Amino acid sequence: MSGIESEMVDGIVLIRLSGEVDLSWSQQVRHAVLAALEKHPAVGVELSQVSYIDSSGIAALVEGFQSARARGSSFALVAVSDAVRAVLELARLDRVFLIVADPAAMTPG
Amino acid sequence: MKLARRATPADAAPVADPARTLAFLADLSQAFAVSLDLRKTLPEAINRVADFMHAEGASLFLLDPATHVLECRICVGPVDMTGARLAIGQGVVGLAVAENATQIVTDAATDPRVWRAGDEASGFVTKSLLCTPLGTAAGPIGVIELVNRRDGRSFGPEDAEMLRLIAAPTSLAINNARMANDLVEQQRMKREFDLARKLQKSLLPKRRRDAFPVLGVNLPAHEISGDFYDYFELADGRIGFVAGDISGKGLDAALLMIRAASLLRWIGKDGVAPGAWLARANEELCETTHDGRFVCALVGYCDKDATNVQFAGAGFPPVLVYRRGAFSEYESGGPPLGIMAGIAFEQHEVELNGGALYAFSDGATDVRNAEGGRLGGAGVRELIARHATAAPEARLRALLSDLKHLKLVDDTTLLLVERPRVHDAQVLLEHHMPARAEYLREMRNVLRKLLDQLGIEPGLRDRLVLAVDEACTNIIRHAYGEECDGGIGLRVSRTDDVLSFELTDDAPCVDPGRMRPKPLGECRAGGLGIALIDTVMDTWHVEPASARSGNRLVLRKRIEDKGFA
Repeated sequence: MSGIESEMVDGIVLIRLSGEVDLSWSQQVRHAVLAALEKHPAVGVELSQVSYIDSSGIAALVEGFQSARARGSSFALVAVSDAVRAVLELARLDRVFLIVADPAAMTPG
Repeated sequence: MKLARRATPADAAPVADPARTLAFLADLSQAFAVSLDLRKTLPEAINRVADFMHAEGASLFLLDPATHVLECRICVGPVDMTGARLAIGQGVVGLAVAENATQIVTDAATDPRVWRAGDEASGFVTKSLLCTPLGTAAGPIGVIELVNRRDGRSFGPEDAEMLRLIAAPTSLAINNARMANDLVEQQRMKREFDLARKLQKSLLPKRRRDAFPVLGVNLPAHEISGDFYDYFELADGRIGFVAGDISGKGLDAALLMIRAASLLRWIGKDGVAPGAWLARANEELCETTHDGRFVCALVGYCDKDATNVQFAGAGFPPVLVYRRGAFSEYESGGPPLGIMAGIAFEQHEVELNGGALYAFSDGATDVRNAEGGRLGGAGVRELIARHATAAPEARLRALLSDLKHLKLVDDTTLLLVERPRVHDAQVLLEHHMPARAEYLREMRNVLRKLLDQLGIEPGLRDRLVLAVDEACTNIIRHAYGEECDGGIGLRVSRTDDVLSFELTDDAPCVDPGRMRPKPLGECRAGGLGIALIDTVMDTWHVEPASARSGNRLVLRKRIEDKGFA
C-alpha cells in the first residue's frame, strides 16, 4: 500500500515512500519533504518501493530540491525504482537530482 | 406645394397665448406620433407651423449626413423652394446649422446673411426671416425657416422662442423615423444574409458516410462565407473536387460564390482535364464578372482509392502533400479566375502512395497565431504534421479546432484527399470514473490490464498509462477545479496501428491555448504533466465535447509493429 515513513539513518532524515504516488496523496509527500528540510540539513527520499509516480509526485520532489538548494541543505533521491527512474528520464530530470544507491552516499550537512 | 395665404384679422396679433401654444405643440406631437412616414406627416406639420406662426411661407431643410448638403424638402408659401440646395454656412439657413443657433433677419434687403437668388427668380420680396436648427444629440439635422410675417412686421425674439419650441418635436419625429427606417433596413439586410447563407450551405456537398477519398470543411469568419468546396462522382468512377475563395466579403461576394460554385461543378462533371476545366470557367467568369471581383480556385480529380490525383490551381495557395513525414508543395498553375481571358492553366499529377493532399484557402495561412503574426505556410505544415496520425475526419476536426482557437481573419476552407481508411475505429475500452484523485489508481489498473492484453511492451505501457493519468489529473485540477461531482469518461480505441485515448468531461470548456507543455528538464514544479503527455503521445488536442459544455481531450499514439506483441 501507499505510505510515507520517516527515520534517521546516519544523521540523515530518510523519507520512505511506497506504492503509487499520484494526485490523491502527493500533497502529503510535499508537506513531509518540506517539513523535514525545515528541521534537518540532510534529507533523502527513498523510492525503492514506489511502483508509480506522476507529475504531481515529481513536482513534490522538485520543490524539495529547490528548497534544499535555497537553504544550502543536502537533498537526494535514494534507491530509485525502475518505475520512478523511467518517469524522471522522461521528464529529463534524471540529471537534475542527486540520485544515490543508499543514504551513506549522501554527504551530511 | 404652393399655398396662397390670405391675411386674416387674427394675423395681426400672433402668438403669446400659452394655452394656444401648448395646444398647438400637443397637436403637432400627436400628428407626428400617428405615422412614421415623414412624407405624410412633415408637409402637414409645416403647413400648420406656417399657419400658427402667421408666416407667409415656411420651409423645411434637411441635412444629408453623407454629403453635408442642406436640401429644401418641404416648402409652403408663395415661392416653392423645394429641391433648393445649400452648403452648411450658406445663407441664413446654412448659418443656422453652422452655428447651431436661431437666426433672425429683420431687414432682408440689407442683411448680408440673406441668400437672394430665390427672390430674383420669383419676384417675391423677402422682408423678414426666422430660421431655427432642428437639434439632436448628434448635432443639427436640418432647419425650419419662416418667411415674412403676414402682418408685415419683422420676426422678433418671441417668434424665435416659439419656433424653437416647435423645432423640438419636429426634430424628434424626424430622428425617430430615421432610426425606424434604419432598423427596417437592417432587418431586410439580415433576411437577405440569412437567405444567402442558406443558399451557400445548400451548395456544400453532404458529408459521405461511406469510404470516400475527399473530405471538406468550411469555417466562415463572418456571417456569410466567400469560400466553398465541392466534390462529386463521375460516371467513369473518378471523383472530382473543387475548393474556391471569392475576393471580398458580403452579399455580392456570396452571390458570385454561388455562381462560381455551380459553374465549376458543371464543367467538372464533363470530366475535362483540370487545366482545361479552369480555363473554361475563366472564360465564362471573364465574360460576366466586371466589378473587379475574382475567384481563386483549386480543381481536380482522383480515383476512388486516391492513388493518383490530378489538379490545377488558379490563384489558390499551394497544395500540400504530406507523405511519410515529408511535405511536397505544388504551386497554382495560373492567376485567379475572372481577371483575364485566354489563359492556360498548368496542371499537376501526383501519385499519393498513401499520402494525403491538403488544399487550404488563404484563410488558413492568414490565421493569427498567439503572438499575433500570420500562421503562414510553415504554421499550417506544423499543424498537419501534429495531427497526421488521426483518422481523416478527426484530423480535419482537430485542424479546425486549432485554427478556431487562433483568431480567424478570413474564411477558411480545408479540403483533404487521401485513401479512405478501410477499418473503422475499434473500441477497446470504455471506463467511467468520478473526477477525483482517489479513483485514478483504479483507472490506471484497468488501462494497464488492457495494454497488457494488447501485448504492448511494459516500458511503453507504463508511459501510456502515465500520459493518460496526467490527462485525468489535468482535468481534475484545471477543468473541474478542486471539489466536484463531475466524471471523466475514458475511451480507448484502435484504428489500424493507432491507439486513441479519448477523455471526456462535462466541465466548462477549457482554452487549449493555456495547455502548453513547459520545456522538459526544467526544474519547475508546474506544467510538467502536459509536457509528459506531449512527450509520450504522437498527437493530442482538446475539442469541445458539445456545443454547450464539456471537453474532449484526445491523445494518440501510433504503435509500431514490435510495440504490439
